[in-house]
Amino acid sequence: MAESLSPSCTPLKHAYDACFNAWFEGYLEPVVASAPALRERRAREKADEYEARCGALWKNYRECVQKAVAEKGLSSMLEQARKDKPLVEPSYPDSEKKD
Amino acid sequence: MVHFFSQSFNYDHPWLHVTNGIWHKYPNSRSSHVVSVDVIDRSIDPHSGVVRTERVLGCKQAAPGWVVKLLGGSEDAFVREVSFVDPQTSRTTLISENLSLSQYMTVLEQITYEPSPADRASRTQFRQTAEIQARPMGLIWKAVGERLEAWSAQRFGDNARNGREGFENVLRVLWERKLMVQAEEL
Repeated sequence: MAESLSPSCTPLKHAYDACFNAWFEGYLEPVVASAPALRERRAREKADEYEARCGALWKNYRECVQKAVAEKGLSSMLEQARKDKPLVEPSYPDSEKKD
Repeated sequence: MVHFFSQSFNYDHPWLHVTNGIWHKYPNSRSSHVVSVDVIDRSIDPHSGVVRTERVLGCKQAAPGWVVKLLGGSEDAFVREVSFVDPQTSRTTLISENLSLSQYMTVLEQITYEPSPADRASRTQFRQTAEIQARPMGLIWKAVGERLEAWSAQRFGDNARNGREGFENVLRVLWERKLMVQAEEL
């Protein structure tokens, strides 16, 4: 597993990554395999499961990494990048060309 | 001037496997320039099931020594990457842009992974494009911008070629591990 940008966050990151990776491996396959009508329910159940399993680990890691991002002087660059390109929804190269 | 880079090829693994592999891509010996990977935001859309992940990647020697001397900063750089895994369309997209040195240049990369049209069940099509562009810096600095741009384009190409090999290794190891787990369960 990759290191965090701050060594002090690495153990928290590894704990969170392990939880997310295990959850994710069980996520895609059933959602993709579901009939379209059931897919939304499946996705919602899985999203709740992620929150229950990994939510607390995420909170701990996020707190640490947010501090580390600020200490590295990245906060303002990140804020600017988010403002310039919010990227809140998937956009596909194919569909962009049509715009 | 803008430098464009693009490549596309297939991975011999299903889209599900390749998409799982994205979270395991680093560290790998062929992409040793990536030294840290952090998730800074993540959400799962309860309606579409899209998993959105925002990460910050730390890269070493992302800028040449002469640039650091001239412009300041450090050889290490950070990149923001936003990815979407869409289970409805079976598409995974990643968009990344440099945070460091962004006042001088932008390196904007887009990657798509989707089932290969010719073999949706077992192969994955990978498409990557990048635009590398120095910001206008005035006449005296024009030469600096152009050299920085050319250097970055060269380095991007090297990393992209090595990245393919590195990710193939990661995918193979994950696949073997998966088969072992399945065999143990039998």
